[in-house]
Amino acid sequence: MNYKIRAARKEDCKDIARMIMELAVFEKMPDQVKISYQELERDGFCQNPFFECLLAEVSDEQISKCGHTVVGYALYFYTYSTWKGRTVYIEDLYVMPEFRGNGIGKSLMSKVAKIAVEKQCVRLQLSVLDWNSQARDFYAAKGAEDLTDSQGWHFIRFDGLSLDNLVKEAPQD
Amino acid sequence: MEFTIRAANVDDCKDIARMITELAEYEKAIDQVRITQKDLEQDGFSKNPFFHAIIAEVPEQHKMQEGHTKVGYALYYFSYCSFRGRAVFMEDLYVMPEFRGKGIGKALMSKVAQLGLAAGCQQLNFTVLNWNKSSLDFYLNQGCTDTTAETGYHYMCCKGEALEHLAQP
Repeated sequence: MNYKIRAARKEDCKDIARMIMELAVFEKMPDQVKISYQELERDGFCQNPFFECLLAEVSDEQISKCGHTVVGYALYFYTYSTWKGRTVYIEDLYVMPEFRGNGIGKSLMSKVAKIAVEKQCVRLQLSVLDWNSQARDFYAAKGAEDLTDSQGWHFIRFDGLSLDNLVKEAPQD
Repeated sequence: MEFTIRAANVDDCKDIARMITELAEYEKAIDQVRITQKDLEQDGFSKNPFFHAIIAEVPEQHKMQEGHTKVGYALYYFSYCSFRGRAVFMEDLYVMPEFRGKGIGKALMSKVAQLGLAAGCQQLNFTVLNWNKSSLDFYLNQGCTDTTAETGYHYMCCKGEALEHLAQP
């Protein structure tokens, strides 16, 4: 299958929003998606973007059943390890089901890794759901270490009311 | 005890590096620290910084024997949740043991939350080691969610040879 990996442009945000929802459905969390394509345009294509995105695109002859040629994406951003330095975090990696098994996921992930290494990042990190054995095997095969299993790291989140309560207690400037 | 919370500047990097090492010792991972004061200066205080930091400072009369008045820090950066939008990730939160129990940790974390909210973030995220019960209790008492325990998210890392190999076409 012929495909190319390219940087996303502002006009791709409708496709990115579509695929974010598809991924959320797969992860059994569609009700958690609140983002709009306009927010993606604002946050990914401003002067100091909150994220970068790569897309996988097929030719018109290979168009999907629903009429899409943009068939996968990797959304990532730069982070920092106070032990090691610059790192990159892949927030989402997704390929539409009918296009899987063609190396597209691997190509997207490798391209993010290449960009990261060029920026002197020393780690690539992401998270995966414990029941998603296909994804866990995919990442393990690429040499990823599960830091939750091996070292006991847990993700913690403040949002909504808990975040508001925390903000109320911030010291005055 | 009187203390102030303020944005870090490039001159704070020596103290930040010191406290990073102290935190790593506490997390039983001192051998993993490779970062230097110079890395912090370059990566945190250039045109497109990789991180931001805030410092907790006490007045001269409260300083320890070793002479430190910078007694805590929080290091954070902006991230993105593809479901909900802008988020802030707190990479480190640390207060020197002698200065704990005085609300400094809470003040630092609240300040990061406030800065995040001001930047349009809807989440404050971070990680904690599952054996670090006092930290876990501290956070859970503030109403946060352990998304690893509740939803099953595992934290994955590619580094060294695995990362180099992945970066090949």
